Amino acid sequence: MPPSVPMFGKKRKNGVFPKHILSALEKCGLKTENLIYSAVTDMNDNGEFCDTFICFDDKGLYVANGNVDVPSKKGAEPFVTVDKIESFPIDAIDEGYIEKFVSTARLVYKKSEEEFPLIRFSYACLEDMDAFVYAFNSFKNGVPVEEIKAEKENGEEDNPFEKKKRRDRGIVFRLLAFYKKYILIVLVVTVAIGAGAVFQLLVPQVGTRALFDKIISNPNHLSQLDLVKSLGILVAEIFFLKLFKVILDSGHQFLMASITPKVVYDIKIRIFTAMQKQSVSFYTSKQTGFLMQRVTGDARHIYWFLINDLPDIIVNVLMVAGIFVIMFNMSWKLSLLVLTIIPILIAVIKGSEKMFHRLHHAHWATNSNVSSIVSDNINGQRVIKAFCKENFESKRFRKASEELRKAEVKLAKREATIFPLFQAVVHIVSTVIFAWGSILAVKGEISIGSVLSFIVYVEMIQQPINFLSGVVNRWARCMDSATRMFEIMDAQPQITEKENAVSMENMAGSIDLSELEFEYEPARPILKNLNLHVEAGEMLGIVGKTGAGKTTIASLIARLYDPKRGSVKIDGVDVCDIKLHEIHTNVGMVSQDIFLFMGSIADNIRYAKPDATMDEVISAAKAAAAHEFIMKLPDAYETRVGSGGRDLSGGERQRISIARTIIQNPKILILDEATAAMDTQTEARIQQSISKLKDGRTTIAIAHRLSTLREADHLAVIENGEIVEYGTYNELLTQQGQFYTLYKIQNKALNAIGIGE
Amino acid sequence: MLTESNCIFKKNENGFLLAEIDGKQASRVKIVCTQPLTRPYEYVSVMSMDDEEYGIIENVSDFDGEQRRLIEEDIRQRYFCPVISEISSIKDKMGNFYFDVVINGRKKNFLVRDLTKNIRQYSNSIMIIDTDGNRYMIDDINAVPKKSRRKLQPYLY
Ligand SMILES: Nc1ncnc2c1ncn2[C@@H]1O[C@H](COP(=O)(O)OP(=O)(O)O)[C@@H](O)[C@H]1O
Ligand SMILES: [Mg+2]
Repeated sequence: MPPSVPMFGKKRKNGVFPKHILSALEKCGLKTENLIYSAVTDMNDNGEFCDTFICFDDKGLYVANGNVDVPSKKGAEPFVTVDKIESFPIDAIDEGYIEKFVSTARLVYKKSEEEFPLIRFSYACLEDMDAFVYAFNSFKNGVPVEEIKAEKENGEEDNPFEKKKRRDRGIVFRLLAFYKKYILIVLVVTVAIGAGAVFQLLVPQVGTRALFDKIISNPNHLSQLDLVKSLGILVAEIFFLKLFKVILDSGHQFLMASITPKVVYDIKIRIFTAMQKQSVSFYTSKQTGFLMQRVTGDARHIYWFLINDLPDIIVNVLMVAGIFVIMFNMSWKLSLLVLTIIPILIAVIKGSEKMFHRLHHAHWATNSNVSSIVSDNINGQRVIKAFCKENFESKRFRKASEELRKAEVKLAKREATIFPLFQAVVHIVSTVIFAWGSILAVKGEISIGSVLSFIVYVEMIQQPINFLSGVVNRWARCMDSATRMFEIMDAQPQITEKENAVSMENMAGSIDLSELEFEYEPARPILKNLNLHVEAGEMLGIVGKTGAGKTTIASLIARLYDPKRGSVKIDGVDVCDIKLHEIHTNVGMVSQDIFLFMGSIADNIRYAKPDATMDEVISAAKAAAAHEFIMKLPDAYETRVGSGGRDLSGGERQRISIARTIIQNPKILILDEATAAMDTQTEARIQQSISKLKDGRTTIAIAHRLSTLREADHLAVIENGEIVEYGTYNELLTQQGQFYTLYKIQNKALNAIGIGE
Repeated sequence: MLTESNCIFKKNENGFLLAEIDGKQASRVKIVCTQPLTRPYEYVSVMSMDDEEYGIIENVSDFDGEQRRLIEEDIRQRYFCPVISEISSIKDKMGNFYFDVVINGRKKNFLVRDLTKNIRQYSNSIMIIDTDGNRYMIDDINAVPKKSRRKLQPYLY
């Protein structure tokens, strides 16, 4: 993972040990006052977890196994035990390095070509140990102690667990803040929802209860007319209650519908902007890359909850509360009985939830398996046909579908048994209430109407409780998604512009890489101490095997990443001190993997300069040898490309991307294997235009085919992140080194097909 | 193909594995599995420390006694994974899964995210990968205490 993990911040705990460890080491007889650097690791030699302390001073390197017990009480001193301290005289070690295994690593030290294993640790300590080894090797190389000590970041050790908790609480408020702009509407909606709930609650009161108590069992209704009149009033009352409720409901739904798209829009924009702000490493890192893949799904979870569930939560909570108030008013005895069913209902729901969780998960997993087989088959149709694997694929699909079907049946069966069970509980309770209520009514404690409306309320309470227990899951899911969303929003971009960044409008284009070190993952160096100078206006060719680090060098010049150590300078100014916008407009890169955006070919060529005239577009396309093939397409420059657009061949895409960079007219042009996918003829033509392009700009050309680098003023051969050869084309040939060998091989191959030199 | 006849392993006094291949002078090597998850001892590659392959051993059991022990020892070291014997709790806090487990009789906690990717099941064994990239194994899901199994079950498919 690249340098920092946004979620947990810096996890560094090196530098010199905290006090409690120092004093424990002192007790075991180690003099700690002169320690230069230290680290705590997590394993012993057998791969068992323990705390291991490693440190050095100007006399020796010390290793001790031990244990740090962090007491659960806050603020109490951790209790440290140290088993035994091993020491190695500083002169007995030349240098150290880290050997990585699959999930663990070990520190190995060298003494006059002989190697010795020292300690073992898990990947959790890689970064710390990498810093430790760097400090130790610097010390051995005579770097002053002060400098080494200054390198350490003296930040307190962050406890990721603690930090996480603190953040959770804020999330709810941050989510609700999306509504802030619409606070008035939200208030109106809430009131409407509340009033709607009240009206619904009143229906059994004025309906069922009044019907029985005031009309059916009222002996005073002697005349037919009176009876009809009372009934009429009753019906009118119910009608208006229902009518009001319908009006309020549609009113609140109407209002919600008017703000919903806005909230959704806000959320999407916020996420998208946050994503744009991040550096390249955020997308490629193991730790954070997966956040991105989920972002669309997350946004959906969040607004579904905010829009659909949140208003319903208010309704249902009000309903439950209201029902109980009314019930207690009618009869506290019966109400207490109803109260007892609530825990039973919740227990049934919770019990079934766990089981359903598993079934849903199985359903989800089998389902996504089926979808990925389908998408494999659509995208890989050509391969499947070429290998004659149609039957095999059909079988694979049938098997996966079969599993999905089984999971679905299981889920449906469970649902079919659980919900009636749920209903049964409610019915039993209603019956008991009816029986007991009748007894109370006979005794005269309560009216028949009340008993009957009571039962209506019991039935009515079932739905909100069901909803509320179901919503818990969606709430958790929404919070889960919101956490990720805020994580993306909060993550500090790795690449930031300094406050006092300099503006360099007229770059000359000289490049200096000095003592450049870089790695994507800790302890796996990609560039090691690389030095390179490119004069302004010069063309430099870079050659090397795949994986040598060529693209990495290009990315560092364009400041897509920051180096671990060392510097990249343009015109003598560190790229970290230059305004980001200016680097990106002045450094143009035709990269290896080309991305064309959705839109027409002309739009794609114009990407860096939207106001370019058609004239400019065409001459850029001509310079990139793209004009000819574009004109063969029926829609020519208006051909739609990118996702959903026309398929272009690798070479055609490369040519469009070269044209796109030509129009940008950058001071520094980087061509990263820009012509690799083209035939020799097209390549030669682009070569010509590139040599025209060379004038007035610095060009770095990365290529496999050495013939394309004839024009270069200098060539650098990269191997394992280091420059192994440097010079002009002819110098390198006379040197008879690696470049020469490569040249011979390629020439032989070219001769074989009759186009050698 | 490397066999006992063209490849001799030994260990130097510092504990590193050396190999003498085709009679060339012994040098440090590492053993890299082609199928580390399911068949670690078949088709293993013998490589120099700079990742250059000397050859492949078809089956480690083709080697005898001490030789075989040396190869297996190197594999075990390279692919070493702490083995979880018990799961005390798994707490789901908004997509962050805090595992509280017992390894070698000692408590250990770690954080796992993105479970679908980071809990992997290979027949009966289960691999869990935490946010640092550390791997943990449960060798046999049926051999851990029932309580532990129940805690993990919802996250397995
Ligand atoms: N985003 C990344 N994360 C981790 N490793 C990477 C990443 N990009 C490249 N690498 C590794 O860095 C090394 C150099 O890559 P690169 O500079 O692309 O090589 P080249 O362009 O010379 O072929 C390769 O071993 C590659 O696997
Ligand atoms: Mg490359």
